[in-house]
Parts: sequence; C-alpha cells; structure tokens
Amino acid sequence: MCNLPIRVICRANAEYMSPSGKVPFIHVGNQVVSELGPIVQFVKAKGHSLSDGLDEVQKAEMKAYMELVNNMLLTAELYLQWCDDVTVEEITHPRYGSPYPWPLNRILSYQKQWEVRRKMKAIGWAGKTLEQVLEDVDQCCQALSQRLGTQPYFFNKQPTELDALVFGHLFTILTTQLITDELSEKVKNYSNLTAFCRRIEQQYFEGHDKDSCTVSVQSSKKSSLLK
Amino acid sequence: MGTVHARSLEPLPMAGPDFGALGEETELVEVEPETKQEILENKDVVVQHVHFDGLGRTKDDIIMYEISDVFKAKNLIDVMRKSHEARERLLRLGIFRQVDVLIDTCQGDDALPNGLDVTFEVTELRRLTGSYNTMVGNNEGSMVLGLKFPNLFGRAEKVTFQFSYGTKETSYGLSFFKPRPGNFERNFSVNVYKVTGQFPWSSLRETDRGVSTEFNFPVWKTNHTLKWEGVWRELGCLARTASFSVREESGHSLKSSLSHAMVIDSRNSSILPKRGALLKINQELAGYTGGDVSFLKEDFEFQLNKQLLWDSVISTSVWGGMLVPIGDKPSSIADRFYLGGPTSVRGFSMYSIGPQSEGDYLGGEAYWAGGVHLYTPLPFRPGRGGFGDLFRTHFFLNAGNLCNLNYGDGPRAHLQRLAECIRWSYGAGIVLRLGNIARLELNYCFPMGVQAGDRICDGVQFGAGIRFL
Repeated sequence: MCNLPIRVICRANAEYMSPSGKVPFIHVGNQVVSELGPIVQFVKAKGHSLSDGLDEVQKAEMKAYMELVNNMLLTAELYLQWCDDVTVEEITHPRYGSPYPWPLNRILSYQKQWEVRRKMKAIGWAGKTLEQVLEDVDQCCQALSQRLGTQPYFFNKQPTELDALVFGHLFTILTTQLITDELSEKVKNYSNLTAFCRRIEQQYFEGHDKDSCTVSVQSSKKSSLLK
Repeated sequence: MGTVHARSLEPLPMAGPDFGALGEETELVEVEPETKQEILENKDVVVQHVHFDGLGRTKDDIIMYEISDVFKAKNLIDVMRKSHEARERLLRLGIFRQVDVLIDTCQGDDALPNGLDVTFEVTELRRLTGSYNTMVGNNEGSMVLGLKFPNLFGRAEKVTFQFSYGTKETSYGLSFFKPRPGNFERNFSVNVYKVTGQFPWSSLRETDRGVSTEFNFPVWKTNHTLKWEGVWRELGCLARTASFSVREESGHSLKSSLSHAMVIDSRNSSILPKRGALLKINQELAGYTGGDVSFLKEDFEFQLNKQLLWDSVISTSVWGGMLVPIGDKPSSIADRFYLGGPTSVRGFSMYSIGPQSEGDYLGGEAYWAGGVHLYTPLPFRPGRGGFGDLFRTHFFLNAGNLCNLNYGDGPRAHLQRLAECIRWSYGAGIVLRLGNIARLELNYCFPMGVQAGDRICDGVQFGAGIRFL
C-alpha cells in the first residue's frame, strides 16, 4: 500500500528464520524486522507512512481497532485451527507438517498444537466452545462493519495500517478452506466487509499483476474472492 | 611347594647328652636340599583345571571364551603368559574390578604329575555406579549426572546414562552396549541422545536429538564400523546479528544416514606417537532411509610417524573430505566441513577459513589439510624421566584449503580450485600430553596465504583437544 518494491518469498522455515519467531518478517539490506508493529515503525523511520494524515484521536482509535482485530480475529483463527479437534486432524496437521518427512511432521505439529493450546489456556479461551468463538467473531465483525460504514476505507479515502491488517485477516478467513464454512459465513454476513476486501484485492493485488500469495500466518490456499 | 628330602639320617649316638666330647664317634645328621634341578621352561605341563572364584551374575559362557586359550598351554612359561593374556581379556570386558591369577599344582585323585590348576580370583563391579559433578564454563553452569550399569544381564552388556542440566541447555544420552561373547571386538551399541552445541564462528546454535545404532567388527588388521543414525536437527541463530545466510538455515530437518568407517592403526599411542601409521576412511550416505537431507560424504585421515635421532619424531598427516549433495537441495550448514584453528590449520581462528557471510563462517563442501611436525624433547631436557617427559617441543608446517565445489564442472576444475589460494602457516611451540587422551599446545604461529575473509590468530595460540592435524 505504500508503493514500496517488495518480493514475497514463501519458505517452510519462515517461522524459525524470524528473529521473534513470528511471521511476517522483512529482510531489508542486512536488517531483519518481524511482525506488523515493528515493520510499520521501520517503514515510518524511512519516511513512508500510511497514517500521517490522521490526527491524534484517530490514531488512538486506529490502535484500538487494531488491538481488537489482534485479540479477536487472530485468536479465533488460532482457536479454529488448533483447538477444534476435527479441523486439527484433517486440515492443520497435514498442512503444518507437509514440508517435513515422517516422523518430524507429527512431532512438530504436536509441538505447535501444545504451544497454542497453552496460550489459549493462559488467555482464558480454552474453555470456550466453537459457538462462543464464532459469536465473538461475529461481534468483532459487527464492530468493524459499523466503523467502516459506507466509506471505502476505515479512515476517509486513504488506506491505513488498520485497513491492511483487517484485509489480511478477512481475506484469509474468506479464502481458506476449512471443514465447515461457518467462520467465513460470519464474515460474509456483513456485505460492506466483503466489498472492502474485494476492493483492496482488485486495487493492490490484481492490479499489480501479483499472484495472491498474501503475507499471512500459514500458507493458505490460493483462491480469489471473485468466485 | 618345594620338598626337602633328608638323604641319609644316621641314628643318633646312644651316648647320652654328652656333647662335650666332640669328634667322638658321632655322625652328623645331614639334611640336603632337592638336588634335581629342573629347567622349568622345558617341562611339559598340562592345565587340568581352571577355577573361578567370585562370579556372581556373570554368565559362564562368556568367561569360557576368554580363558579357553589357557588350556592350550604346553609349558610353564606358556601357562603364565596365557593366564596373563586371559586376565587382560577379562579386564577388557569391563565387568570386573580386579582379577588375580593363581597357578598351583594339581591336587586330588585325578591329578597328573605335571598337572596344574589355574585359579582366577575375580571381584565383580557393582550393579550400578553413579557420578555427579557440576561443571562451570563458557558463561554456563551445569549439573552432570552419570549412571552406569556394567554387566547388566551377565554377558558384559553395559548401559550408561548421562544427563546434564545447565542454565542454558540440557542434554542427555542413553547408550546400550553389547559385545559378542567370545569376540569382544565385535560389538554393537544403541544410543539415544540429545546434544546441543553453540558455534560462535557461525553464529549458529544446533540442537540434535537422535537415535543411532552401530556395529563394530574387525576384519584382518582393520576395524570397521557400520552405523545408522537418525537425527532431528534444529538450527537457530545464536545472536540477532547473525547473517542472513545463517538465518536462512534455521529450522528443523531430519537426517537419516548410513555410515561406514574403517580404521587401521599401528601407532604405539594415539597422543604423540613415536612410530606407526593411522588411516581412517569414513563414508556417510544420507537420505535413502528417510529424512529430508540427502548427501554423500567422504572423509579420510592419514598420519605417519617415524622416529629420528636423539628421541625426536617426525610426523606427517593429511586430512581431506568431500560432501556431494544428492538432489537439488543445497547442503546444510550442519553437514559441511570446517577448517582452521588450533586443532587444524594453526595460525587461524577456530573454523575461520573459507566461505563466509558478514563474519559468519559457512563451511565448505570440500577440503584438504596437511601438516608436517617435528617433535623433540624440551631443550636441555629438564625433569627428565618424570614430569619433563610429558612435554615436547614441536615445529610445524600446516597447510589447507576449503571451498565449495560446483559439481557441474569436472574433477580437474575441482582439483584446480582446491589448489589455488592455499592457506598455510608455520611455527613452533610446546605440547603437553594429558594422559592418553588429550593434549595441550601453546604455539607461536605465522599464518600465510591468508585470503580475504579469513580470521587469523598470529602470534601465540593455545589449543586443547583430542584430534590435531
């Protein structure tokens, strides 16, 4: 969105290459910066920023919404992938272990599952059922939908970091195939959110002749919203 | 043991105790020693019985193999020699704390006149021995616990367990060893281990968890080892400033490999040998039994020692190796060879020769290294006959090269690449021998042929280790 030249490379060990253990990360010159927050700050230090036009109140609001997305959508995605037994067995284990030979694929995916479940327990989501999680996602989408309203982007006519983050999550939810479509249905209930995703996809991804390999947490199935 | 025969015993004089009159019709009692002197070496003997005292859980059959030669002895010196050899073999099994040998003539009804009985008095080791130490070093402290079960099932099987719990890393190892009864040189062992290593020259941290089984067997004068190893390797960066080439190698991989090693060793000692030669050839093929790392690795080591005048020894050694990745994946940093340091080409920093990226050394796929050493006793020979014998002065010339090969080119191009830009060094120093296992060196080195990117250590360099170029 900042119009900076980038090249996206998919690697099986991206998670381990990152200095903090989380993707995405960028490699610029001989610096490596990981996670959205530090990347945004790094880019800002070089003089590019999407949120320069916002005043203090709006910046605080943007931060609040970004926190909401991180707490709700990200955690729901993790829950669905790692704590829902059916999904874990059929989708997540094969996908997470696919770059590795047996028995390493089993060992690594069980290790990751244990780690995510421990995190869920720490934040109190372990006791939630799938319905409760979907309810939370619904509420989050409702809040985002209300904030978006009929505008093209969350803050006036220019995209900001919040748009990038929301797009990343919603696009992944809408295009990843899971056992059931309940999660993507919840998002599809809000037509302005789907329109928002489509608009960004058209403008920034298909317009630049890129393949839709988005910089997301796991390598997801490549498919377009325009089905 | 000896018998005293009184040859002739004249009756005592009937006159009473009147010894005052000497020389009067008294005849002295003569007691003479055995006059027949036998030359023991030539006397034929037969070993009739071999007794064992002190066996507990050790099974009989392995003992019988070790002492079977004793029965074949033909004369007394032979019996003594074969009993000594049997004692050495029993101690080598590692199940006895002490073995004493007693040779005696046969007693009893079926005793032949030249029959001998050999008795081995043994003390078995305890069922479980343990050790506990703490180690401090390299900014890390750790507790090390070791347990050993010698002679677990009675046939010299040995189980050892070692566990190290440190402030930064933990590691453990469990190993089961079983020799073949009757042939200790043939044995197999199974190991399960986790080791961690930190390599600051590459800013790399490696954690290996693995299982390996190996068979050792001698063939004529050589010793062969066949080994299968399955290792789950996890690589990580040691510091945030690690270069991107090292960062790219982080992650998990599984290596499953078969390897074969052959060793011929005719040296009189493995540390500071005076004569003899060593040849070690090692092959490793990975990828055909699973795993995602696929390569063929060859490695050899050759050493020749010869004694010269005045207690000095000249020694030459050559090392070399090649790694050929199979398939289109490039080789992993954990499999490549490294060169340089006080134990290989002296005068350069530890493993700091060859391809590097931003100060991190990546290792190479082919290397060779050679050294010529002259060891002499210390000048003016202080402490001769005692402590001074552990020290030697040494003059050396080392050379080597390490590079990556492009396997599309032919062998001629490879040889050419290995022959250009040779790093070499010369110097002198003092070597201290530690037991039979390790040595310490303090050298003054002049590194030459330094290429851009190598890190040198000219001047005084200290080294400690087991295997030196």
